[in-house]
Amino acid sequence: MDSRAPSTPERQPRTGRRGPWHRFARNPRALAGAALLAAFFGVALAAPRLAPYPADAPHLLATLHPPDRAYLLGTDNLGRDILSRVLAASRVTLAIGILSMLVSLVAGILIGALAGYAGGQVDAALMRLTDVVLAVPVFFLTVAFLALFGPSIPGLICIIGLTAWPPTARLVRAEVLALRHRDFVSAATAVGASGGRIIVRHLLPNVVAVIAISATLRVGLAILTEAGLSFLGLGVQPPAPSWGNIIADGRAYLGIAWWVSCFPGLCIFLAVMAFNLVGDGLRDAFDPRLVV
Amino acid sequence: MAAYALRRLAALVPLVFGVTAITFALLVLAPGDPVTFLIPPEQRGAADLAAMRHELGLDRPLPVQYVSMMRDLVTGRLRSFGDRRPTLARVGEALPVTLILTAASMALTLALAIPIALVAALRPYSLVDHGATLFSLLGISLPSFWFGLGLIYVFTEQLAWLPATGIRPTGATGYNPLVIAPYLLMPTIVQALSILPVMVRYARSSLLDQLAQEYVRVARSKGLRERTILRRHIARNALVPVVTVTALLVPFLLSGSVVVETTFALPGLGQLAVNAALARDYPIVLTTTAIAGVLVVAGNLAADIGYFYLDPRIRDG
Repeated sequence: MDSRAPSTPERQPRTGRRGPWHRFARNPRALAGAALLAAFFGVALAAPRLAPYPADAPHLLATLHPPDRAYLLGTDNLGRDILSRVLAASRVTLAIGILSMLVSLVAGILIGALAGYAGGQVDAALMRLTDVVLAVPVFFLTVAFLALFGPSIPGLICIIGLTAWPPTARLVRAEVLALRHRDFVSAATAVGASGGRIIVRHLLPNVVAVIAISATLRVGLAILTEAGLSFLGLGVQPPAPSWGNIIADGRAYLGIAWWVSCFPGLCIFLAVMAFNLVGDGLRDAFDPRLVV
Repeated sequence: MAAYALRRLAALVPLVFGVTAITFALLVLAPGDPVTFLIPPEQRGAADLAAMRHELGLDRPLPVQYVSMMRDLVTGRLRSFGDRRPTLARVGEALPVTLILTAASMALTLALAIPIALVAALRPYSLVDHGATLFSLLGISLPSFWFGLGLIYVFTEQLAWLPATGIRPTGATGYNPLVIAPYLLMPTIVQALSILPVMVRYARSSLLDQLAQEYVRVARSKGLRERTILRRHIARNALVPVVTVTALLVPFLLSGSVVVETTFALPGLGQLAVNAALARDYPIVLTTTAIAGVLVVAGNLAADIGYFYLDPRIRDG
């Protein structure tokens, strides 16, 4: 089934037993990713119950304690239990990853749909802007923004989201351009639907699959960006834990306490990989030609 | 050629302008007064603050400030709020480190990506191809600073083979390749691994595209050797998208250098930018972002010149 040329354009193509979800379910890598992702979300939701200690409780007699039965993943230089901190951080990191993806999605959809539907000068101006944002080493601007305005979680979500929208905008624009001269759009125009209604009710539903695939892959990138910023000290601020800032905490003790930096990094790696596996799996199932 | 390069260059000027305008907007919108970062608390009389503000030109209208900052930046008169040295001098000290790191990691990436992509494309869906795909997945999921710390743990802490921080031994100066190579080895590997998956993916699909073309079949039916077909016919065509990706990855590498330079304490542009932003050194922040923009433009220009040589359709038309 070709999701780009649905036979009933107003709605998503029916996904029967042999449809994309069937293909997804038969792809072992996609399933592994989905299982890993489910595990991360499950653990994040249950984190307060699973954590053996409060995340910021200092065990002053057990500083830089190697992993053992009492402290499964060891402790940091203040004697805080790494497992408890990693669990608490999983909520922070996943929340920032998903919320910033939503910000970039909203911005990308608005800009892409507007450019694709309006065409002409509006399209040219918006795509020029997209090119500029894509070409700029945005990390320099991100660092400047967070240093100047002071690092905060809402600031982090906004800046990661607002620098990550161009690929989504390009995808949505391309899809809208391909759809906007189709008969069902002319029909909607003929019965007097407004531009906004056509975009929201008729065009966007046809782009959902593409957006979902891109969004899944974006969460992984957002998690990596947040981790890097937190590592630099510009992301989540201590004592609140994030995987990135726990790694930064362990950096000074790398030679004597590898476990502080090792485990949170492993979490970032596995979480990002899970999002990538699911995103790739969705792409292969829904639209193998798509380059996201 | 010169006219072509100039035309491409002119098209990229708005980019540098846009970057500096955004940076300036961030600077003036930011809460807090840079002056309070420059004067110790005990000397912060209202008169002192006003005098300092006047001295730095911060009491003038914003458009005037922007234009004069940009003019001073271009003419080299813009000075750091911190040590009062020209910003271009400060950036000039940091830039070679970032440039060497970026060039070395790009070279390493190309040296690895092209053979990997070639093997993967010649035997699609073989073990090597699947291996390359898996490796790509691991590469794009790996946080670079964590990988960097892992390398430091193994090669510095455990084996004591490589130095973990800085660009050269204390006391040494200059960029003698033999002296700085041990310092740059780990950062280069980290940077290269971060872009290798993208490069392999593009090079592979570009090669597959070309291999499926009619002219390849013609060349084969003429009885040309596979090696000749690859070198004389496919390589040139397949390299055009690779050049595009190389240019697109320059901003990515520069962004990555901020984190990698911090991980390995390399005194490059990224580290300068982070420290300046934290210290509210507006002129340095503006200069580093502008220079980063210029580097991106330079990367694009290099790609355009690359097309010029690779593709006669661009050269002649």
